[in-house]
Amino acid sequence: MVTADIPSSVPVTLLTGYLGAGKTTLLNRILTHEHGKKVAVIVNEFGDVGIDHQLIINADEEIFEMNNGCICCTVRGDLIRIIGNLMKRRDKFDHLVIETTGLADPAPVIQTFFMDEDVQAQTNLDSVVTVVDAKHIWQHWEAEEAQEQIAFADVVLLNKTDLVTPEELDELERRIRGMNALAKIYRTRNAELEMDALLGIGAFDLNRALEIDPEFLNETAHQHDETVGSVAIVESGELDGNKLNEWLGQLLQNQGPDIFRMKGILTIAGEDQRFVFQGVHMLFDGRADRPWKPGETRKNELVFIGRNLNEAQLREDFRACLV
Amino acid sequence: MFGLKTKKQGEFGRHWQGTLSDYVMAIAYSPDGKTIAASSAAGEVVLCQGAGALSVTVLQESDGRSVDCLAFSQDGQFLAVGGQNGQVKIWQLQSGAFELVRILENTPAWVDRLAWSPTQNLLAFSLGKYVQVWDAALGEIATTLNFETSSALDITWHPDGKRLTVGGYQGVKIWTADDWDDDPYLLTIPSASVAIAWSPDGKYIASGNLDRTITVLEWENPHPWVMRGFPGKIRQLAWSDVFNKAGTPILASSSAEGIVVWEKQEDETLGWESRVLAGHEATIQSVQFQPNSCLLASASADGWVCLWQKAKRQTQVLNGAPSGFSCLSWQPQGHQLAAGGQNGELLIWSKSVRGQGFG
Repeated sequence: MVTADIPSSVPVTLLTGYLGAGKTTLLNRILTHEHGKKVAVIVNEFGDVGIDHQLIINADEEIFEMNNGCICCTVRGDLIRIIGNLMKRRDKFDHLVIETTGLADPAPVIQTFFMDEDVQAQTNLDSVVTVVDAKHIWQHWEAEEAQEQIAFADVVLLNKTDLVTPEELDELERRIRGMNALAKIYRTRNAELEMDALLGIGAFDLNRALEIDPEFLNETAHQHDETVGSVAIVESGELDGNKLNEWLGQLLQNQGPDIFRMKGILTIAGEDQRFVFQGVHMLFDGRADRPWKPGETRKNELVFIGRNLNEAQLREDFRACLV
Repeated sequence: MFGLKTKKQGEFGRHWQGTLSDYVMAIAYSPDGKTIAASSAAGEVVLCQGAGALSVTVLQESDGRSVDCLAFSQDGQFLAVGGQNGQVKIWQLQSGAFELVRILENTPAWVDRLAWSPTQNLLAFSLGKYVQVWDAALGEIATTLNFETSSALDITWHPDGKRLTVGGYQGVKIWTADDWDDDPYLLTIPSASVAIAWSPDGKYIASGNLDRTITVLEWENPHPWVMRGFPGKIRQLAWSDVFNKAGTPILASSSAEGIVVWEKQEDETLGWESRVLAGHEATIQSVQFQPNSCLLASASADGWVCLWQKAKRQTQVLNGAPSGFSCLSWQPQGHQLAAGGQNGELLIWSKSVRGQGFG
C-alpha cells in the first residue's frame, strides 16, 4: 500500500554575503544556467533579481530558538514554513536557492536542514556559497557576520577582483584560507564561475572526500589575524574509539558554540572501515564509511573551523586518543 | 495489518470521488453540509455539490500557485480562500450560486492561514507577521494585528467569537474582538506554537508546539499543563464536542505517524492521561472528531484514513489516495467524511448508503 518510490530530495544552495557583494548577480547566473529546470528561490531582502521568475518567494528572517537558547537548536522559522508549503506540490522543483541578507548568521539556516523533520526529509543542503566583495570586505572585516559567513562557507567567491591589486587579492585569500581551510576559493569578476564548481558540491554529504587545501597544510605557522580560524590535524596512527568518543563529546559540549564546522576521516583501532564525521556547532553526524583499501595509507584528517580555537590543545587532546 | 475486510453496519462506504491536478491543500464543508470546497497546490478551487454523483463547479483554474487555505463563513454565505499569490478571494452566495465579490491583494505575502469567526462574518487571515480581519458586512478591513515575534503560524477563533487566537514563535496571542487595540493575552510557549485549538465549550485552549510539546491552558487558570514525549513536532490538534466522564472534551494530537489522545481524569490530581493510537505508517496530516461523537478520523501520508471508535479502537480503514492523504473534513452533520490526497484525489465517504454513487 505504501508507495515504494522514495520522493527525491531537492538540493539546496545557500547564498550568503554582504549586500552588494554580488549575490544577486550570482543568483541570476544560477537561474540562467538552470534554464528549463524548476528553481525555487527564497530571498530575505529584495535585491534586483533580474529574471522574471515565478518561484521567487520573499521571506523575513525569523530566528526560532527552540531549546532555552541552545545555539544548535536555533533554526529559521521562515524557512520551515515556506519549504513546508513549497514541498507539497507534486510537480516539485529541481533546486532550491536561499539568498540570505548580508547580516544573516548562516548557522540557523544550516541547522534548519538537520533539525526540522520535514525539511530534512525532503531536501538536502548541497553547499554554502559566500560571495565576498574583494574591495569592500576590508570595511566589514570586524563584523561577526562577515567572519561567520566565510567560516561556514564551502565555496567562497572573491568577487570584483578587477577593483583591487593582485597583492591585495593574495593577502585577502591568505586571510580567508586562515579562517576556513576547507572552502574552495575562486577569484571572480561579476560572479562569473563555472556552475560545476558551484552546484552539486555535496558539501554535507559524508561520502564526499575531505579536501583540506594543501596550501593550508604546507604553511608551518598560521597567522591568525582573526578570532575565527581553522585548525587542521593530519596524523597517522590508530585511535581508541572510546577515548575519541569521550573527547569529541566533551569538545562539543564545552566548545560547541564556538565550533562552526568540523569534518574528518579517522582510523579507529580494530576497525577495517574509515570513520567519517562532520558537525555544525553541536550537531554531529558520524559513521563508519567504506573499508580502507588494500595498500591505502590509513590516516587521520580533521578540520575544525571556529572562534578562539586553541590549536595546541586540540592537537594534544587528539593525540591522547591515539592507541 | 489492515487485512480485515468484513463490512459492518454503520460503516462508511465510498460515495464519490473526483480529482484536482495537484496536492489537495484544503477541504471544507459548508455549514449545511451540502457543498464541499477544495483547493490544490496548483491553484484550483472547486465546489462539489449534489447528492449521489456530485457536480463540480470550478471557481478558479490552476495557475501554478497554491491555494493553501479555504473556509465557509458561519452562515454559509461566504467562501474565502488564500494562497501563494497573496490574494484573499471571497465568493458570496447569490441566487443559489457563489459569485466572486472581493479580492484582497497582499503581494508578496503568502496567505497560508485563514479563519472565519464562528458568530459573525469576520474573516481573519495571515499576512506574514500580521493578521488582518476583514468585515464582510462593511466590506473592509476591521483591524490589522501585529504578532511581532514571527509569522502567524496558526489562526483560530474562540467558539464564542469574542476572541481571536494566533500562534507563532514564543507563544499564543489572544486578542479581544470587542477591542482590537487592547493588548493581547499571551500564553507563553518556549519554542513556537504551530497548531492551536479551543475546546468546543471554550474552556480549554491547546497549543501544539515545534519542540514536541503540547500546552493546554484552562481559561482563567494561570498554570497550563505541558505534555511531552512526542515523536516529532505537533502537527494538529482536535477536540471532541462531547464530554468524557470528567466532563471534559477529549483532545487528539498528531505527531509524525502517531496519534496521542488525552483525557482529563475525574480525579483532579491525576491531570490528563494519554493513550497512543498506533497503526499509521507515515506522517499524519489531519485528525478530526466526528461532530457530536467521539469517533476520530485520521488521514495520513501512508494512504489510509482510519476511524477510531471512542478515540480508542480502530474500526475502519479507508483508502483511495495511494500516494498519501493530505487533509480531511467531517460534514458538520456527521453523515459524511471528505478527504483530499497528495495527488489531487478528492474522496467522500458516507454512512450506510449502499449501492449509490460507486460508478
